[in-house]
Amino acid sequence: MIVGMKDALKLIGISVIACCAVFVCTLFLNYNIDIAAMKNEITAAGGVAMYNAVVSTGKVVAAVSGGCLAVTSVIMLLFYVKNYIDTHGKELGILKALGYSDFNIAKHFWVFGLSVFVGCALGYAAAFLYLPGFYELQNADRLFPEIKVQFHPALAFILIVVPAISFAALAVIYACFRLKTPVLDLLKEKREYKAKVSKNKTNDMPFLKELTRSTVRGRKSLVFFIMFSAFCFSAMVQMSISMKDLSSETMAVMIMTIGLILAFMTLFLSLSSVVKGNAKTIAMMRVFGYKHSDCSGAVLGGYRPFSYIGFAIGTIYQYALLKIMVTVVFADVENIPEYSFDFKACMITLILFILTYEIAMYVCSRRIRKLPLKSVMLT
Amino acid sequence: MIAVSDITKSYGAGGNRNQVLKGISLQIADGDLTVILGASGSGKSTFLNVISGLERPDSGSVLYGTSDITKLSDGELTQFRRDNIGFIFQQYYLLPNMTVEKNVRMGADLADNREYAEIITAVGLEDRSSKYPSELSGGEQQRVSVARALAKKPKVLFLDEPTGALDEQTGRQVLDYICKLHKEYAFTIVMVTHNQNIAEMANTVVKINSGKISEVLQTKSKRPLMR
Ligand SMILES: Nc1ncnc2c1ncn2[C@@H]1O[C@H](COP(=O)(O)OP(=O)(O)O)[C@@H](O)[C@H]1O
Ligand SMILES: [Mg+2]
Repeated sequence: MIVGMKDALKLIGISVIACCAVFVCTLFLNYNIDIAAMKNEITAAGGVAMYNAVVSTGKVVAAVSGGCLAVTSVIMLLFYVKNYIDTHGKELGILKALGYSDFNIAKHFWVFGLSVFVGCALGYAAAFLYLPGFYELQNADRLFPEIKVQFHPALAFILIVVPAISFAALAVIYACFRLKTPVLDLLKEKREYKAKVSKNKTNDMPFLKELTRSTVRGRKSLVFFIMFSAFCFSAMVQMSISMKDLSSETMAVMIMTIGLILAFMTLFLSLSSVVKGNAKTIAMMRVFGYKHSDCSGAVLGGYRPFSYIGFAIGTIYQYALLKIMVTVVFADVENIPEYSFDFKACMITLILFILTYEIAMYVCSRRIRKLPLKSVMLT
Repeated sequence: MIAVSDITKSYGAGGNRNQVLKGISLQIADGDLTVILGASGSGKSTFLNVISGLERPDSGSVLYGTSDITKLSDGELTQFRRDNIGFIFQQYYLLPNMTVEKNVRMGADLADNREYAEIITAVGLEDRSSKYPSELSGGEQQRVSVARALAKKPKVLFLDEPTGALDEQTGRQVLDYICKLHKEYAFTIVMVTHNQNIAEMANTVVKINSGKISEVLQTKSKRPLMR
């Protein structure tokens, strides 16, 4: 078996993200479909304006969070496929050497689609359980008639089956593309290092600095994940703090929970994959007598600036999104308070973020400390 | 002077317990070239790891001068390796995402050695400085690892089957570089090998057989020990 169920299980990060994405999309889209069927029955004063606002909010939220999460899971999937091929170069290379075609090997990667399927199915199921409560929440002001939760097979199909199949296909296609490397390069587990640095310049950078730089450069997708995790944290937490005035508390808690799960998940997965990917380097540095703090500082430290950039982007993003919601979407609705940048929320979030990030770093550097030198070197 | 006395080491527990070192004692004089011979699985690497401070023995002591490294904390042991020890392994363990120069700097920076370029030249790799390990032959990679180990100016250099992955001729070339540098810098060498020919160059030859020393041959001159 080339890629087994066990390997698919490791894609839990994708499952969690898919779950969150489908959860949010199901809530808002199902609601939008159900309320659209009732449009003609809306009679309350201000009801139609509210209807329009609610429908557009649903579309914006579903598109923004769904789209954001979909992009992340695609990049995560590609990352996993590449990582699998990089770390199993020997086995895959031997299969190729024996005469298996690229596609024959790559087709096994379809199992990665399972993780998406599981995540989407769970997200959909969870959303369905929560839908009655959500409908209640959306209609707290009784501006609309009573709405019953309906099941829409087409929506279920689009949110569960379509993503699963597309991700399975994507995994196979990308694996096929990745396997096009010559057999010998796979066997030697040779990666494309040479093209990355211009050769003519010999720089005078000390080893530890160079290590930080090459670790970050070697895996650019991880930079994205870490930025994304900071982005999620920053945007979701600030938004949920500021939104208390604009919307319901439940909504705020929901957004905050999704943000935190996503942020932790991606941050932790990224950092541990940094540690795993550099286990040999770290072991060798330890053999030579580099201190733990030097090793973890050099290997993990390079990502810190990117996480702060992610945080800043998240801050801007949530500000812009809320501003747009308030000034455009809810323009016709009365009693919506003025929204301005919430400096206090930003500061609280920043402090929380620094704490979270440094704790995750600390956990990973503990892992580095515990790396058994001999077993790393034997494998 | 390294004085090893009565080292034991086991792996596993209960029924799976496997005693790998069964009471080894040995003295290694400063500047000596000591070669450890023995069948595969006899415990040579384990012994080397114990006396170099990579692993702790179950019992026994390893004295460098007067300090017993088996009594050091993890942090102190790291500092000890940093100040004293160089390593060369059969599998090279170069850092794949760094050039030859940066790999050598990994050792050099530990000793604040700014003259690492000289060592790269000394192992004949000056025109390979900006290449990556995957672009080098096995012999060249092992020479990088020699340069990396020596750039940190170790007092003792440990080599675990340094030519095990190389053909006869390439292996000999690598050893010639090591011997040349040994004369120049006068550090102590402890080398594990399967290669009988290397033993000709040694001052001391230690034979290990299933976790015990079975024979120690010493020669004061560099006269070949056995033919
Ligand atoms: N980390 C370990 N865990 C369990 N057994 C080990 C470990 N390291 C070595 N051994 C066992 O110790 C014995 C000696 O190994 P080693 O010192 O590597 O031998 P040599 O280098 O002489 O070939 C072998 O039987 C090996 O299986
Ligand atoms: Mg060995």
